[in-house]
Amino acid sequence: MNTRKLSRRTFLQMTGLAVAGSALVACSPAPGAGSQTGAQAGAAQEVVEISFMGWGNPGEDQGVRNAIAKFEEETPGIKVKWLHTPENYQEKFLANVAAGTPPDTAFIGSGDFRTYARDGLLLDITDKLEADPLLGAEDYFIQPQERDRCTYQGRWYGIGSCWVAPHLYVNVDIFEAEGIEPPSNDPDEAWTWDYFLEVARQLTVDANGNHPGDSGFDVENVERWGVHWPTWWIPLHAAITSNKGDWIDPDTQLLILDQPPAIEAIQAIADLMLVHQVMPQSTVMESLGMSNTQMLDTGKLAMAVDGSWALDWMKEIESTLGTGVLPMMVEPATNMQAHLHSALAATKHPEEAWQWVRFLSTPFYQTQFCRTGLWLPSQTALLTEEGLKTWITEGVHPPEYEKIATEYLPRFGHVLYMPPGYPKVDAIITPALDAVWVGDMTAEEALTQAVPDANAILSEELSRS
Amino acid sequence: MTAITHWIHRLSPQTLAGRRTLVGYIFISPFILGFLLWFLLPAVTALWLAVNDWNLIRPPRFVGADNFLKMGTDRLFWQSLKVTTVFSIISVPVGLVLSFLLALLMNTKVRGIAFFRTVYYLPSIVPAVASAVLWAWILNTEFGLLNVLLQALGLPKVPWLQDPEWALPALILMSLWGLGGSMIIYLAGLQGIPETYYEAARIDGAGRWAQLRHITIPLMSPIIFFNLIMGIIGSFQIFTAGYLVTNGGPQNATLFYVLYLYRNGFEYLDMGYAAALAWILFFIILALTLFVFKYVGRMVHYEISP
Repeated sequence: MNTRKLSRRTFLQMTGLAVAGSALVACSPAPGAGSQTGAQAGAAQEVVEISFMGWGNPGEDQGVRNAIAKFEEETPGIKVKWLHTPENYQEKFLANVAAGTPPDTAFIGSGDFRTYARDGLLLDITDKLEADPLLGAEDYFIQPQERDRCTYQGRWYGIGSCWVAPHLYVNVDIFEAEGIEPPSNDPDEAWTWDYFLEVARQLTVDANGNHPGDSGFDVENVERWGVHWPTWWIPLHAAITSNKGDWIDPDTQLLILDQPPAIEAIQAIADLMLVHQVMPQSTVMESLGMSNTQMLDTGKLAMAVDGSWALDWMKEIESTLGTGVLPMMVEPATNMQAHLHSALAATKHPEEAWQWVRFLSTPFYQTQFCRTGLWLPSQTALLTEEGLKTWITEGVHPPEYEKIATEYLPRFGHVLYMPPGYPKVDAIITPALDAVWVGDMTAEEALTQAVPDANAILSEELSRS
Repeated sequence: MTAITHWIHRLSPQTLAGRRTLVGYIFISPFILGFLLWFLLPAVTALWLAVNDWNLIRPPRFVGADNFLKMGTDRLFWQSLKVTTVFSIISVPVGLVLSFLLALLMNTKVRGIAFFRTVYYLPSIVPAVASAVLWAWILNTEFGLLNVLLQALGLPKVPWLQDPEWALPALILMSLWGLGGSMIIYLAGLQGIPETYYEAARIDGAGRWAQLRHITIPLMSPIIFFNLIMGIIGSFQIFTAGYLVTNGGPQNATLFYVLYLYRNGFEYLDMGYAAALAWILFFIILALTLFVFKYVGRMVHYEISP
């Protein structure tokens, strides 16, 4: 009797020490914490609370709350605490990680995912996913993109929230008035670059009714611009991949923006402003003081390139809204990406954390945001005729919009994976590109200068691995 | 209270002096605790981090002086140092002179002077974030107050925040918005100068300029010196304006040192390098302060109290 008591006490002391020890080294989560099914079996009645950290506008915040309510109803025994962090997410997330109090589950930005996976921050969910009758099915997600974005060295560390991709938004009323056929949502009907330039030229008009290239065209007094193509990485990557180039070489993990396909594509976007004069410079955009949505609505702009997420507010415009696939340089292409949902390796409740991440990847959560135009599905079940009916909404999605989700994205979408250390490279690449947009340098001059500097940083980061 | 006195009696040496010393320490203990917790501990931690490679996720890895050696070839480090130095060299003297002149102006005895003192002091108590947002609007190329005024005077519009040439001058201009603080310190000093000195000087036939040069400035020199030191320290730590108004742009023209430090820590996940940058900044400020004490401190005239 006594000895047993003693041993139990010793055992408890040992456990206490072990817990204290693990608290001390909590800064470095042990990868793949062991399953705790044994401990949980005894506590079937107990409610486990897990935390979920993420960003999001008020609409997304509400969507997460709806999902939690439904999940808690369906899964008694698990409560989810929503840590809504709309500002400075990464700083706050990492501060929690460094302090040894990481959330159990979290939004992970697509640009940070590889760094976090490499450093053992995220829970390996490969076995749980493959064993899952629903999510583990071969064709549950759009493939190979889902596997590509969620795996690191062949293992799954999260599941994508959805997909979003840039495409064209057009003011259909302007096209009708000018007698031009608007662009199609079918990638097989994508415009060639030359045809796109011609349409943009025809739709750009100055105060005297002249078009770019006409003698007397006054670029200082443009009544209506043909197109606006934002120059940040997502819309730019879409243009580069359409020219069969890329931003990062997936094999070497280094920048290849200084190679001819990328340089040509970047110059082609700059030339929309500098040579063809069919797109407003950023200073002009600022002087108008309008968003691209307002410009499109008021007829100041005929075509806007923007992410599919913008449909969430573009749908509100008074004019007739149309959408279409991007014009192609060599082949149809767009960029596709989105944040991921991951469980953290340090979680004390890996099973419950997985249950929640899994729930977020079932139709309920995704269709909420697909219906408003904010998201596009990553689940094939939502792309079938039946599935489309659950989210394509009259008044939100223009006619034939489903082709963007069913054809354009799965067949022509390119995912860009930022390697570890990428944020620092941004501080070199952005100023170089800025010089291209204002015409101080050609794309070739700016990028052949900046890319080697940037790659030196990336190489150093690779050596830190 | 009695319990505390009882405790002091029990613990302290049995001499009155010893007891008083202990009471003194208890009185300054809030500062000592604050100093240990919020300065010394973080500084030592930062020193340890500076010789490690730590991205907040993996355990820190010792790398010796690597983080310090890296600065030599880091283009952005030199750029941020240049931007901050230029900012300091211009904003500190200009701010020093302007706030002194303002204080002289506010030291006159006219009706309603209290109102004007308040008005000039107010901007410096507006939170830094609020004034950054405010100035982002004032400096807006198209709709900003500043350009509207320039155009009313028949001058061209200036692309304050878009042009790499103009962005730093714009933020220097913005920094002068917070002059009220040093103005108030000068004002306190000015009011401490006995009127009898001026009376005696006037009887000897000194004009306004001579009074300023031979009485006001020498007697104010310790305060000018104080504001100079504080100005240098503050200007090298400038962050908010560059972070909120321009985010270091355009083309890194406003990449202040502390902004670059912050980015290394929280955006590039390189805490070791950020900590090393912090220590280098500490030494830069220390060196500047010692330099100013040695060469400018000589000009300071301290009044010996009779």
